[in-house]
Amino acid sequence: MKGKDYLSEAKKAYSPLNAIEEAARCLLCHDAPCSKACPAGTNPEKFIRSIRFRNVKGAVETIRTANILGAACARVCPYDKLCEEACSRTGIDRPIDIGGLQRYAMDFERASGMKVLEAPAAALEKVAVIGSGPAGLAAAAGLALKGYKVTVFEAREQAGGWLTYGIVPARLPQDVVDYEVQYVKDLGVEFRMNTRVGKDVTLAALEAEGFEAFCVTVGLQGSATLDIPGLALSGVTTAAAFLAEAKPSCGALQVPSDVVVVGGGDVAMDCATTAKELGAKKVTIVYRRTVEEMPANKAELEYANKLGVSILPSFKPVEVIGENGAVKAFKAVGLDWLDRNTSVEVPESSIQLKAGLVIQAIGQTAEDVSFAGLGANSKGLAAADAETGKTSIGNVFAAGDIVNGGKTVVEAVARGKASAEAIDAYLSSVRESKATDKEVAAQKEGVR
Amino acid sequence: MAKRKDLSIEFCGVKCENPFFLSSSPVGSNYDMCKKALESGWGGICYKTVGYWIPQECSPRFDATRKEGTPFVGFKNMEMISDKPTEKNLEMMAKLKRDYPDKVLIASIMGENEEEWTKLAKAVTETGADIIECNFSCPQMTTHSMGSDVGTNTELVEKYSAAVRRGTHLPVLAKMTPNITTMEISARAAIKGGATGIAAINTIKSITEVDLDNFTCLPIVNGKSSISGYSGKAVKPVALRFIAQMAKDQQLKGIPISGMGGIETWEDAVEFLLVGASNLQVTTSIMQYGYRIVEDMISGMSYWMEEKGINQLSDIVGAALPNIVPAENIERDFKVYPKYDHEKCIGCGRCYISCYDGGHQAIDWDGDKRKPMLNEEKCVGCGLCWIVCPVEKCVTPDKPKFHSFGTPRDINVIAKRL
Ligand SMILES: Cc1cc2nc3c(=O)[nH]c(=O)nc-3n(C[C@H](O)[C@H](O)[C@H](O)COP(=O)(O)OP(=O)(O)OC[C@H]3O[C@@H](n4cnc5c(N)ncnc54)[C@H](O)[C@@H]3O)c2cc1C
Ligand SMILES: Cc1cc2nc3c(=O)[nH]c(=O)nc-3n(C[C@H](O)[C@H](O)[C@H](O)COP(=O)(O)O)c2cc1C
Ligand code: SF4
Repeated sequence: MKGKDYLSEAKKAYSPLNAIEEAARCLLCHDAPCSKACPAGTNPEKFIRSIRFRNVKGAVETIRTANILGAACARVCPYDKLCEEACSRTGIDRPIDIGGLQRYAMDFERASGMKVLEAPAAALEKVAVIGSGPAGLAAAAGLALKGYKVTVFEAREQAGGWLTYGIVPARLPQDVVDYEVQYVKDLGVEFRMNTRVGKDVTLAALEAEGFEAFCVTVGLQGSATLDIPGLALSGVTTAAAFLAEAKPSCGALQVPSDVVVVGGGDVAMDCATTAKELGAKKVTIVYRRTVEEMPANKAELEYANKLGVSILPSFKPVEVIGENGAVKAFKAVGLDWLDRNTSVEVPESSIQLKAGLVIQAIGQTAEDVSFAGLGANSKGLAAADAETGKTSIGNVFAAGDIVNGGKTVVEAVARGKASAEAIDAYLSSVRESKATDKEVAAQKEGVR
Repeated sequence: MAKRKDLSIEFCGVKCENPFFLSSSPVGSNYDMCKKALESGWGGICYKTVGYWIPQECSPRFDATRKEGTPFVGFKNMEMISDKPTEKNLEMMAKLKRDYPDKVLIASIMGENEEEWTKLAKAVTETGADIIECNFSCPQMTTHSMGSDVGTNTELVEKYSAAVRRGTHLPVLAKMTPNITTMEISARAAIKGGATGIAAINTIKSITEVDLDNFTCLPIVNGKSSISGYSGKAVKPVALRFIAQMAKDQQLKGIPISGMGGIETWEDAVEFLLVGASNLQVTTSIMQYGYRIVEDMISGMSYWMEEKGINQLSDIVGAALPNIVPAENIERDFKVYPKYDHEKCIGCGRCYISCYDGGHQAIDWDGDKRKPMLNEEKCVGCGLCWIVCPVEKCVTPDKPKFHSFGTPRDINVIAKRL
């Protein structure tokens, strides 16, 4: 039973009539703010209108043309901070359920086998995309659609990055991720799995293989950890490690009855809800700041509340207490926030929680990008243009979390798309200058 | 990217890139509007009716029929023909045709007597318009020598059609009023007079609502109001009926029809083609949603053609007509029982209430389980239950039961489209 809860999607899907009804709530604004708020240009104004006027296929066309991860984004985007936050209908009652409508169109696409995107024959240069997360998939699709021969190199066994190894099935079932990865494969993109560039194969070797441009989308794979005693005990883990084990186990992972999660973002929520769905009796989230300051999106916070997860805001971790090398309890102390940056400890509010598992969900750390010859900033992020992904090396581009420090799936898609454009511009100009060189040479030949 | 079907279709001998046109009304009443519409994808424009008589309009001039939770479904207007100077309108039409030679321009005209009709026909022909539409049908003219009072008088329809014919070599459409029992009679008169085709329908005389404080209908213009034309989604059933009847009329066989009245989606548009229209005009849904709605008409119709393997629109014009038959030709030797899907049923009991109070008391209500149970003895197979059920595909038509005098065979019934 617990496996089923863990694997089944939490939000109900629309029926055709309900979707049209929800779409009919849309005010069909002039110069629609929702469409301006989507980083990937998914254009909700247009696809909602298509659903409203009974043209679901047109809706699919709009979404798919703009967003190669339309089905995943429909489920995991923080709408309340993007398109739905911009929705004018909020001024009347509540925003349009844009995510739900996008999901409806994408489910329709999948059920009907509709194919909007077709890549031309891959006649252009070879491009290597390093990392198969959202940024990598978007870059690969964008390049394939322009006619490049694209290969994605992925260190792990499965494609998808955090879509596969992080985001929980209740929000993003694995078959949705697999479907969209397959979409990218159908565009002619090749995947080389279990291949860590920089270790299993060097960039130089890939250049020798004929790859003329590189898109580095390796993301943030490491985990930030606390600085308190007891972290070496068994039962202390990180969010990345916990989720990456839980998702592929399809719900078979055993969790103890008492779990403590440290952190206040979406990842912390995911860990807490996962632990709960996998059978933990009591799950407590310990967060340094106030509830209002939690970066987690509202829907996720509500879902955690619904599952009975307790949240302890303004508490600072002090120590993990063990017995025979394993976690037994977790100690924290209350904080009093004087302003956003200043707090004082409140020793009267010391707390000790029974814990069989302590999950640190306080952020991810950047991958080392020196294998691509790229410099890193103070946070270890790749030095690249935030919009286009251009780097100091002409044929190396970077996009996604590794550049922006970890934002969202849709942001990664947007940047992947943009770097595909930048790579196309780069390779086109190289091609043109080669052609002119040849022409000049031929002319010289002629003169002689 | 996505492939688009060829939606071109010939109408009155004029090639149209698609069948979607603005109908004569404020939506096509000056150059800039028409330009925006054509650039949004409309195949052509029926320009706002021009005449030498210039109306004085009232304010406010619109009302609407609303239904809970939906945008308005019907629209009432008190507007007459163009209130711009005739010369100005002719100039803008000429400019449109010059700047968009591949788009189709229909010039809508209305005269007060034969001389005016002929003179107007000549004038709009000179603008380069492709087709002329005679407005015999505006139901709220302040002068009775014009508008739907003309359209209901077959003699005038014939006489004015002939007057227009004398002034032009272009195809001529007669735009019909639905404020009449049999449209075929007026349509035949128009063709007899020299019209090439028919446009239908103009607006239906209406009172949309009566104000409970001021004791008059809406809109209220300083205490008073008038009966005037109704359009939009709510009139679609009436429009389809008039068009189908004309398209089936023996004497009107092969006469091109431009259909309108409540077209909002590509599905509405296909319906008009299926009952015999080969050109489509739209006003109210543009007033409500803007020119952009044509995008989904084009895309939706194109996907539908692809799905059905239809390569040219002319193939489906009138395709539904053979299946629309007189009531006496409907088979009546069986009934179809409803089937209740208890998995989908949410236990609202609406089918039970409707069958008891408005049907044949043929549903037994299981109050503990909150589920309907069919009593086949009493059920007459009317289908009220699946019409009122709010859940998709919960109540559906089941197998037929043949009456004692019936002949068992395969039966195809559909009574609800999603
Ligand atoms: C638990 C969790 C939940 C999240 N929930 C949401 C959410 O609900 N909504 C949302 O919008 N965002 C969410 N995010 C953030 C979002 O997942 C990321 O912003 C997004 O995945 C970034 O995409 P990316 O392609 O840049 O990197 P990643 O998804 O990290 O993908 C990078 C890929 O590169 C591979 N790789 C790394 N190094 C190499 C190498 N040297 N050679 C080959 N391959 C390599 C990795 O194995 C990985 O597959 C969440 C993140 C986490 C961790
Ligand atoms: C505000 C308004 C003004 C109209 N003016 C004209 C007109 O000048 N000439 C005309 O032939 N029809 C006129 N019509 C009728 C429309 O062209 C059309 O026949 C009718 O509205 C039905 O189509 P619809 O349901 O798409 O609006 C007008 C309709 C409206 C709503
Ligand atoms: S719609 Fe335009 S013209 Fe009509 S009342 Fe409003 S502002 Fe005035």
